[in-house]
Amino acid sequence: MQTPKQLGGIRFGLMDPETYRDLSATKVITADTYDDDGYPIDMGLMDPRLGVIDPGLECRTCGQHSGSCPGHFGHIELAAPVIHVGFTTLMRRLLRSTCRECGRLTLDEMQMEEYRDQQERADELGKDPDTVLKAAVREARKAGTCPHCGEPQADIKHEKPTTYYEVENVLASEYSEVIASAMQPDADDEEDEGISPSELADQTGISLERINQILGGEFRPLDEDRRALEKALDVDLTEEDMNKLMPSDIRDWFEDIPDSDIEVLGIDAENSRPEWMIMTVLPVPPVTARPSITLDNGQRSEDDLTHKLVDIIRINQRFMENREAGAPQLIIEDLWELLQYHVTTFVDNEISGTPPARHRSGRPLKTLSQRLKGKEGRFRGSLSGKRVNFSARTVISPDPTLSLNEVGIPDRVASEMTITINVTERNTEEARQYVANGPEQHPGANYVKRPDGRRLKVTPKNCEELATKIEAGWEVNRHLVDGDIVIFNRQPSLHRMSIMAHEVVVMPYKTFRLNTVVCPPYNADFDGDEMNLHALQTEEARAEARVLMRVQEQILSPRFGENIIGAIQDHISGTYLLTNDNPDFTETQALDLLRATRVDELPDPDGENETGPYWTGRTVFSLLLPDGLNLEFTSSTGGDVVIEDGNLIEGTIDEDAVGAFGGEIVDTIVKQYSETRARVFINEVAALAMRAIMHFGFSIGIDDESIPPVADEQVDEAIDSAYDRIEELIDTYENGDLESLPGRTVDETLEMKIMQTLGKARDSAGEIADDHFSDDNPAVVMARSGARGSMLNLTQMAGCVGQQAVRGERINRGYEDRTLAHYEENDLSAEAHGFVENSYRSGLTPREFFFHAMGGREGLVDTAVRTSKSGYLQRRLINALSELEVQYDGTVRDTSDTVVQFEFGEDGTSPVRVSSDDDFDVDVEGITDRVLEAEFDDAADKEAFIGRREPPTNLSEHTEPRFEEVESDD
Amino acid sequence: MVDASQHELVPDHVLLEDSEIDSVLEEYGLSRTDLPKIKRNDPALPDDATPGDVIKIVRDSRTTDTATSYRLVIE
Repeated sequence: MQTPKQLGGIRFGLMDPETYRDLSATKVITADTYDDDGYPIDMGLMDPRLGVIDPGLECRTCGQHSGSCPGHFGHIELAAPVIHVGFTTLMRRLLRSTCRECGRLTLDEMQMEEYRDQQERADELGKDPDTVLKAAVREARKAGTCPHCGEPQADIKHEKPTTYYEVENVLASEYSEVIASAMQPDADDEEDEGISPSELADQTGISLERINQILGGEFRPLDEDRRALEKALDVDLTEEDMNKLMPSDIRDWFEDIPDSDIEVLGIDAENSRPEWMIMTVLPVPPVTARPSITLDNGQRSEDDLTHKLVDIIRINQRFMENREAGAPQLIIEDLWELLQYHVTTFVDNEISGTPPARHRSGRPLKTLSQRLKGKEGRFRGSLSGKRVNFSARTVISPDPTLSLNEVGIPDRVASEMTITINVTERNTEEARQYVANGPEQHPGANYVKRPDGRRLKVTPKNCEELATKIEAGWEVNRHLVDGDIVIFNRQPSLHRMSIMAHEVVVMPYKTFRLNTVVCPPYNADFDGDEMNLHALQTEEARAEARVLMRVQEQILSPRFGENIIGAIQDHISGTYLLTNDNPDFTETQALDLLRATRVDELPDPDGENETGPYWTGRTVFSLLLPDGLNLEFTSSTGGDVVIEDGNLIEGTIDEDAVGAFGGEIVDTIVKQYSETRARVFINEVAALAMRAIMHFGFSIGIDDESIPPVADEQVDEAIDSAYDRIEELIDTYENGDLESLPGRTVDETLEMKIMQTLGKARDSAGEIADDHFSDDNPAVVMARSGARGSMLNLTQMAGCVGQQAVRGERINRGYEDRTLAHYEENDLSAEAHGFVENSYRSGLTPREFFFHAMGGREGLVDTAVRTSKSGYLQRRLINALSELEVQYDGTVRDTSDTVVQFEFGEDGTSPVRVSSDDDFDVDVEGITDRVLEAEFDDAADKEAFIGRREPPTNLSEHTEPRFEEVESDD
Repeated sequence: MVDASQHELVPDHVLLEDSEIDSVLEEYGLSRTDLPKIKRNDPALPDDATPGDVIKIVRDSRTTDTATSYRLVIE
């Protein structure tokens, strides 16, 4: 057993070539991997000292076998130094800011001190030292000559990725011709008589003899002489000279930079000498990092990295041979560049401007950088996220008989997924029973683990015998059983309610079953959605999940502080039908409505009619409400809803009362009673509503949207009159009499007025249709109660679909000056610009259909664009905020202990624990009363304090009822 | 020029005395550089604020009447 080690810290820096050599298990000199017998070649790329991958072999460095040997680095001695591509920008900066002669930073002592200070301050404030480095380099580059040795500095040109040039101004090769032509008189200027050699000698202070020598090209005027000549003749005698800096030159240059100067730039010279950015030794990754695989036909296939290393070694060898043979400089330089290319692509094969190294098949090689970068790279693909065991995924389907806390799990999943239980004296019998059942019978076990750590598979044959051996200290991997807690998730996991803990109910068939009321938090439907399930493996994980993650703990959404779980769709139609007209029910009917709830006794009847005693819908609904609940609010169905002492006195229960996304009753119950009470309430409302909707019968068909012919005529009339008004508008516009609205052109005014008129036409069509629908029309019931759809949908089905729009305007695109070939050019009428006068029920004309498709497409494109945009936005937000944490002192801090907020959210409150509405304050007085009472030292009060019942904690649905605040529900 | 610090939406920015700074740092167990930062050229700052000073900001809050935070003035 290895002892765990604690990390003191991590230090990043460059590595000294000597360290590479020290760490190396072997020097690699041959590009070959295996010999003809299949044995790895000594000092080859698969040298056994680099680690073992073949099972059964022993590592020549550490003596361990494959699996436990971590692998060991080797090294290649490079024939010539090459640049490491990862550091090209820093190298450019250093070349530009240091002296080519003495290697010192071209800043004077004052400036150095200044940047040293800035560096220190950046470190203190946790800022990026790179910004200081950039500023210092910018300043140092301004120096024309070195302030330390006086050497004039040349400009450095960087040709990406790895070539550097010194750009110098040197005397032009045709200097004598330039001087001679400048001395000639200017042909266009009569006053200019030119200049004679003797005059030039006087002006420049150079002897006449020298001038003649210069003119004859025998003497090269340098420095002062050149400048004097340039001044006298007003010419430029220089040309740019590009001098390539070889990696060895750069290495020599960097070696001269003193440690103290590097530290000004924020580089830790102790751990990162700049010359180490130029590699003289190349580390060879262990074979465990680049394992070769044996194909089916027995051929060995090597890893991309190995291929790349083969290239490097080959070129390295050729380089050395050529140099020893005294090959011309040109060939050497070519080989050097080739070596640089191979080392560059070994590190990163996606450098712009460099052709990527390719496999024989033409596929670009995946080298070091490609292994780390991107979504499938080491960080995002293997470390932040990876595949897990004990998980299952299948299609979901609804089951209204489950509690919202539960999830139905197919038996075949339950007997494949296991939970590890530690066998103790107290559960030995239980564990034995699981094992005795074997892996095939449902509450069985698949594996056991002996105290010595050996894992045994439970088979139908050995299960009986194995069961007798089970004792305290063993571990049993038993099947999932009813009541186990598991984590359930649907992607995309956009908020915390996308992952919730459920209790297992094992069921037949192949789908996960969930109660329909948990669809809103998961944003799930049953058109083929799949969900993931994770079985928790430790006692701590199961306890945490039960306390923090259970569905009932997530009823309130931290996004808007109200409930996100509640009645949906048919549940809302059901409660609406039950309470809107407050119908009467006989005893049988009333009990039938409540059969799926825990209510099994009716209160006193509300009255008596010809069939006997009756109970009203509101009374039946009231049976689900907790005692003592007082609530008053206005629902959007119309009318006030009044609840007194847990009785619905007045009002219709609709979406505003019990719906997901802020149903007032649900919200109040969670906040004033408990999560458990709210869970019971939601479950029972769903059950009652389903019974109610089945009692009344609820269906919808195309005839439910038809209106009588009289109404059709009225709609046509309304639309026709709108057409007439538009024609008038167009006439006034064409006569030039249309007055523009403030801030708009006449064209815009016309468009606006037409849009307005057509909008009104559609609305009046809707009103006419609306008038002819009865209140019990199912579409009307759904729209009013908020269960599904809106009155606008109804208008479009029965009255008129209305104007189609693209980018908020009438449809104006298509052909030149017209939308479709069916219209004349510049036709401004309603039908030529996408007004659909038909209803969905009567059917669209072909032209209307096209316009409708254009408008509909915009909606589709919008949603597609929005999801991808908001997904990336969310990823960035999460990455930016993920490290923030609320500390025990209430402050919000990041990982470097910098304060972000002095009190979480400025008030230290949880959004789900405060009132969601200004009208409903949290009962602060009630709370203070309770606290004061608890604080009292009085004997009587103390007695009361001791006798106080603990508030209910998070207990399973399946524990004994004595712990539950409410008896039971589902 | 409009004096932004006098705008009704800009909360009060008050310079802290050294002793007050110490008590704030003590209270939260902070070093000066752990405080949120504010740039010296921020128009909400009082004119005599210099880098290294600590500013106390008292904002109106809907849930708690006022919310206090502190910032370190930097260049």
